[in-house]
Amino acid sequence: MSTAALQSVQLAPGQAAWQRFRRHRLALVGAVTIVVLILGAAFGPYLLPFDDTFIDIMKRFAPPLSGAHILGTDELGRDVLARLMMGGRVSLSIGIVAMTIAMAVGILVGAFAGFYGGVIGAVLMRIVDAVLCFPAIFLLLALAALTEPGLMTTTLLIAATAWMSVARVVEAQVRSLREREFAIAAVAFGSSNLRIMFRELVPNAMAPIMVAATLNVAKAILLESYVSYLGFGIQPPAASWGNMLNNAQIYLTSAPWLAIAPGIAITLAVTSFNFLGDGLRDALDPRMNIP
Amino acid sequence: MLLGASAAAGLTVPATVFAQTERPTSPPDKPRGQVIAALSQEPTVFHPLMPGIEVDQGVWWQVFSPLWFIDPDGNFVPDLAREVPTIENGGLSADGLTWKIKLRSGVKWHDGTAFTAEDVKFSLELINNPDFRVRNRVGHSLVKDIKVVTPDEIHWRMDAPYSPYMSILSLTFMVPKHILEKVSDPNNSPFHNAPVGTGPFRWGERVPGDHILLSAHTGYHGKGPYLERVVFKYIPDLTVLYTQFRTGQVDYTGLQGILPNFVQEAKTLRDRRIFVSSTASVEHVAPNLEFGPFVDRSVREALYLAINKKAIIDALNYGLPTQTESFVPQQAWSFQSGLPQHSYDPAKANALLDAAGWVRGAGGVREKGGVKLEFTNSTTSGNAVREQTQQLLIQDWRSIGAAMRVNNMPAAVIWGDFWQQSKFNSVLVAVNFMLGSDPDVTPRFGSGAIPAKGGRGFNTYQYQSPEADRLLAEGARRFDLAQRKATYGDLQKLIRNDLAMLPLFQGFIAEGIKDGLQGFRHNINTSSNCWNIREWYWARSA
Amino acid sequence: MARYAANRLMQALLLLVIVSALGFAILHLAPGGPLSQFAVSSQMSQEDLDRVSRQLGLDRPLPIQYLDWFGRMLRGDWGRSYRDGEAVLSVIGSHLGATLELMTTATAIAILLGCWIGVLGAVRRYSLFDSLATVGAMIALSIPTFWFGLVTIYLFSVKLGWLPSGNRQTIGDGSLPDLLHHLIAPAVVLALVETAVWGRFMRSSMLEVVNQDYIRTARAKGIPEWRILTRHALRNALLPMITVAGLQFPTLLGGALVTETVFTWPGMGRLFLDSIGYRDYPVVMGILMFSAMMVLIGSLLADILYAVVDPRIRMG
Repeated sequence: MSTAALQSVQLAPGQAAWQRFRRHRLALVGAVTIVVLILGAAFGPYLLPFDDTFIDIMKRFAPPLSGAHILGTDELGRDVLARLMMGGRVSLSIGIVAMTIAMAVGILVGAFAGFYGGVIGAVLMRIVDAVLCFPAIFLLLALAALTEPGLMTTTLLIAATAWMSVARVVEAQVRSLREREFAIAAVAFGSSNLRIMFRELVPNAMAPIMVAATLNVAKAILLESYVSYLGFGIQPPAASWGNMLNNAQIYLTSAPWLAIAPGIAITLAVTSFNFLGDGLRDALDPRMNIP
Repeated sequence: MLLGASAAAGLTVPATVFAQTERPTSPPDKPRGQVIAALSQEPTVFHPLMPGIEVDQGVWWQVFSPLWFIDPDGNFVPDLAREVPTIENGGLSADGLTWKIKLRSGVKWHDGTAFTAEDVKFSLELINNPDFRVRNRVGHSLVKDIKVVTPDEIHWRMDAPYSPYMSILSLTFMVPKHILEKVSDPNNSPFHNAPVGTGPFRWGERVPGDHILLSAHTGYHGKGPYLERVVFKYIPDLTVLYTQFRTGQVDYTGLQGILPNFVQEAKTLRDRRIFVSSTASVEHVAPNLEFGPFVDRSVREALYLAINKKAIIDALNYGLPTQTESFVPQQAWSFQSGLPQHSYDPAKANALLDAAGWVRGAGGVREKGGVKLEFTNSTTSGNAVREQTQQLLIQDWRSIGAAMRVNNMPAAVIWGDFWQQSKFNSVLVAVNFMLGSDPDVTPRFGSGAIPAKGGRGFNTYQYQSPEADRLLAEGARRFDLAQRKATYGDLQKLIRNDLAMLPLFQGFIAEGIKDGLQGFRHNINTSSNCWNIREWYWARSA
Repeated sequence: MARYAANRLMQALLLLVIVSALGFAILHLAPGGPLSQFAVSSQMSQEDLDRVSRQLGLDRPLPIQYLDWFGRMLRGDWGRSYRDGEAVLSVIGSHLGATLELMTTATAIAILLGCWIGVLGAVRRYSLFDSLATVGAMIALSIPTFWFGLVTIYLFSVKLGWLPSGNRQTIGDGSLPDLLHHLIAPAVVLALVETAVWGRFMRSSMLEVVNQDYIRTARAKGIPEWRILTRHALRNALLPMITVAGLQFPTLLGGALVTETVFTWPGMGRLFLDSIGYRDYPVVMGILMFSAMMVLIGSLLADILYAVVDPRIRMG
């Protein structure tokens, strides 16, 4: 056995996980970036002299670094940096909250369906299948048409389109893990069903769930941009990275910074979440603990 | 004088042309080449009497012909008719009730069958057929006792004199009796997707979602066509539409034209010509006059004073449209000049509201008698310039104590009950108030035309004014052009004074054409700028 | 096995009924309707609109409209589009080819590229290749498709002039080189996100498998690495991929919708967007049922395949 493996045997599992995480450089970069973005979105607007909704029509389309506006101004003369930060609040919170809701619902449904199987499993998975039959866009458009567009509805809509794939993956994993030795052992020991589900099976399915979670934050942030594009997302004059990107579309050739700024922000945030998820997955993989 | 005074019945438009002057060329002897026209909506209705949208009209103008049409200078020009009926030539009786129309002979449908008066009779009867899903019957429902006197002469009687019917017929296309009489369902038949008409181009093929191809009808009874093929290409995204025009994949940008922010750059493109022309629509803020704060005229005037029209026109629309005070297009014969001019004066607006008893309350929002000066404004979502306009209005109106909130929705929703049943607070919209090219706006401003109150019409503003009703009735009754002009002039003054709607500017469209393509003429009197593609041709480069 | 399949089939049919009812309800209850487009532009009065509404049968109570539609669908009549009057099946059919062309090309690129990147990344974990591939995949997943498409058009069509800026073919042409020329940009743009997805799932799945006991045993037994990879690891790594594949159709349709919009591709995604915009109920219901059937068939096949391949989870 290598010294590294020996060392990891001596440490507590949590510490071992943290050590592994630290070694994953990209994950660290991702985590740091996310923290920076969140701090920037939360506190940035208080530090800037410009308001994100103040229209100064005479100062439209000022390029970045040309004057007092660091990132320039947009099609109505508003400060791009201020809007970027305010937009960050909206897009990041939608991403995280929508993902959390989607994950919670998805794990619950998937775990129950995978564990119990039989009629319950079939019914649950058929419901999942039913909702999955709707293309996400259809769901988004139709539901958005029935509701008043806004922050809460956008978040819920995005969550509503994301939980199904989580449920499916969890169900498949739980179903196959259920037959494995440790699960059968737990049953023999007399553990309750819920305990088996959430202490034994789901944690062992954590790896694909982690991947799903991080991809879901990414998807949620991207979906927000698409929903805003269709006019159902965040309404003007509020900013979100999504609706900034969409307003910038027709000015791609004349004022590219309007599209570059939110585009980079989205890419940065989403990439960071993905790296973070990767690092977490590597760190939490229980199989690594087996000597 | 009834409708024979055709000279001033339509609208005259001097199209603004940003072009290098070219040597005049003449059209070729045989049809040559093709034109690819880009449209941002897909034409899907090919039966010209059924409900259709503006892009459908573009196709109808190629495949079908009306009895007569109105040219850009406002003159009635005969098409399928040999001459436009007037009282002088006996086509119309003095009381306007008997119509006698002589038709052109030798006109053939695309399948070779001869066009006769039977087709005209069939078309008019089809319109009035209760089972047929016709677009509307305004004017047509008054037509009775249609008699085919000879294959090229038709007579009928009107139930009541109706001056706008001349204009209405200029937009009514004739359909073939010999094909459609055999059809079991008038609403659905092979004809609907392979139409046969008397127009300059015959039906070629349609690739749904992509394009429609039409080819020249060499037996066409009028001038032209000089093109072998016309292709209507569907490009839903306006930025992409402009890009394809730039890269030359498209020869002409039709609806909805070139976005204002691209026009400046488009003018500098080599081998392209840009035409910015006025449309008959007026862009305005439509208030629901029964809604809380809007009932008070001072509120409307204050809001109007606080609109920075210059910023909206010059900055957001790049200086392309012209500001207006009236619901009548500036090129119309009935346009009333000298209406009070708008000025951007927030101070005066504030003073006005103070004087009217609207006191600033919490958050700076004014209120009076328990009613707050807050409201929503809606428009079609996805329209970038309108959304920017809304945001400018939010800021400017906040400074006078009015709180506006945006509530946009897609076209299928906003123009449903929300608009028609006056469920809105205010809407930012462009409306063509004219009836054809006739200024009779009874359906828009008449008190009996409020759908929300069970009336018949489009008075979604819920405007009620006895004086307006009187003027409208007078205008529809009179036939003397000078008298009508005076009446409608008074009406425009009244509407402007009452601020039944807050006018911003007259509609416009920026269209692009590849160099070398001749014949394009903007026509505010027809339903589409594609009306004369039959006269377009490619000049041979020297 | 046959009983399992038959069972699932029955469930699938029931599901289709539920889906159709739900979809019908949502669609018709949403505000707005197919006649709104005429209210502003075409000078049709309220009476005209009411009349047309009656003629289209839209004033009947919703359950009656649904039963009428459902009954006809069972007999093969999927209704007619409110816009051009064509039979819904023919409308879908005329757009289907374009979308399939785009989707299969993009999926092929995505699977080949994605699996290759994923496997190599898992095997050569933490190497430069893996890092680059991981970063690349991350960025690919993070870029909004429509933005990427617009940039592609701007670069390759407007600036460089190498590729056409949209559409499936040059009108009048239609030869294979022309079609391929038009296919490159949209297929690559659509494949971008798919490649990243496949790559990531493949990598994580591969990593799990590679650390299993039986792999270590095989290595200890001296079996050559490549054999281990292909015979043992890959086969087991591909299992969860089947689930992923089963999920791809609606996601791909959604991605295709965006790509089709940017590249003016005359496909089903574009048709769906337009039909929803115009509230062309028959076509929307047709597309919904069609995609539901595709998804159900896909997931049914995936489950059966999974059960065949992994004997541990044969449903009793």
